[in-house]
Amino acid sequence: MIVAENVEKRFGDVAVLKRVNLKVEPGEVVTILGASGSGKSTLIRCINGLEALSGGKITVDGHDVSTKAGLVAARRASATVFQLFNLYPHMTALGNITLAPIEVLKLPKAEAEARGRALLDKVGLGAHADAYPQQLSGGQRQRVGICRALAMQPRYLLLDEVTSALDPEMTGDVLRILAELAADGTTMVFVTHEIEFARHISNRIVFLEQGELIVDLPTAEFFAEDGGLAVPRIRQFLSKMKKD
Amino acid sequence: MRYADFTPYDIILLLQGLGVTLALFVGTTLIGLALGLALAVVHHYRIPGCRPVIVLVTEALKNSPVLVQLFLVFFGIPAFLHIRMTPVEAATLTISLNTAAFAFVVFRSGIESIDRDQIEAAQVFGLNRSQILRFVIAPQAAAFSVGPLIGILVNQLQVTSLISVIGVFDLTKIGNILNLRTLQPFIVWAVIGLIYYLAAKTLAHVGGCLEAALRKSVKWGGI
Repeated sequence: MIVAENVEKRFGDVAVLKRVNLKVEPGEVVTILGASGSGKSTLIRCINGLEALSGGKITVDGHDVSTKAGLVAARRASATVFQLFNLYPHMTALGNITLAPIEVLKLPKAEAEARGRALLDKVGLGAHADAYPQQLSGGQRQRVGICRALAMQPRYLLLDEVTSALDPEMTGDVLRILAELAADGTTMVFVTHEIEFARHISNRIVFLEQGELIVDLPTAEFFAEDGGLAVPRIRQFLSKMKKD
Repeated sequence: MRYADFTPYDIILLLQGLGVTLALFVGTTLIGLALGLALAVVHHYRIPGCRPVIVLVTEALKNSPVLVQLFLVFFGIPAFLHIRMTPVEAATLTISLNTAAFAFVVFRSGIESIDRDQIEAAQVFGLNRSQILRFVIAPQAAAFSVGPLIGILVNQLQVTSLISVIGVFDLTKIGNILNLRTLQPFIVWAVIGLIYYLAAKTLAHVGGCLEAALRKSVKWGGI
């Protein structure tokens, strides 16, 4: 379980996260919605330890990410897919996927590669195992990014606006894969602007507004007139997103 | 045959001189690259207090004449510290430090050229500092650095000729000896220059091949 308690994050004088509380149970898909700058990505970056907390506590399966040993354990339990893919450009698709399994999980190379190839096959990139990131399209790179995360067999998948840099067609490819993962019971924390998709795959939706988590509801309730839509800010946000 | 004539034995003399030059070049290059790399890594990890010292020393080495540095090391340091230093020791120390200063700048920009994004990805996947350095930073920094480094080393090969001044029997010193004996400066210095030229060209060629191999993965753009 991922637990965030009273999480605070400040950059200088700017409070980016204000007393945020969030729980993600195994098997859940939780979507984080909110305008740009509302702190969605920062929350993900606090969970995976890329940002140090200014206050509060985050634990992943009980491991406190603010301690050195806790962070190592928490990073073993989760894997992140990034908005801009963050692939290693000097390594092939397969090399990107197998680096951490070989070096961190200490898997034998052959086993890591077999796992990597199986994942690439699953996302339709079986023929591109030896391609370098620069040879792949954005959508293909992001699928490699997803394989890289899955190769760690994480208990939690953290997805930070993974389709924001992709065109609609490529977005479709990536979302199809995520829907399959959700159907398989993969636990996901999903930061996105794809509202219809979020509605389709999420168990719960939380809404961040200027660093505060103002709503945390099961998906059906979030979109119900007497639920999330009763909150003026959410109604405004959703209608604006639909127009765009 | 007069004393002043060229003899076949002169070829052996030239080869000996070339041997000294190359040995000194290779030695100082290995020391200089290792030291420059170490400085760049220390600089990268922001070890407290090290950055200003490294920058000050490397700037001083890059912005003063090598001949002056050589005199300082060969005459100045022994006088100041009351130690003895042979010409070869002084030459090795000076050129090594000089190469290190230039290599440091190249390695530093090589390391800085790597996107923070990738390093974050590696951190999130649980790689530790030394694994990130080895698997993510080093291969890309090497591909980035090898071109500029070859340029620097070709230049440092020529710079080694300065050590003849303090009495090391390198290629230039042999040229000096042959010139004084034969009084044929045009021929002597043309031949000496040609030998340096061939050595430098060989070095550049080998470096070019190395660079091509290292850049295999980036021929598609990127870095």
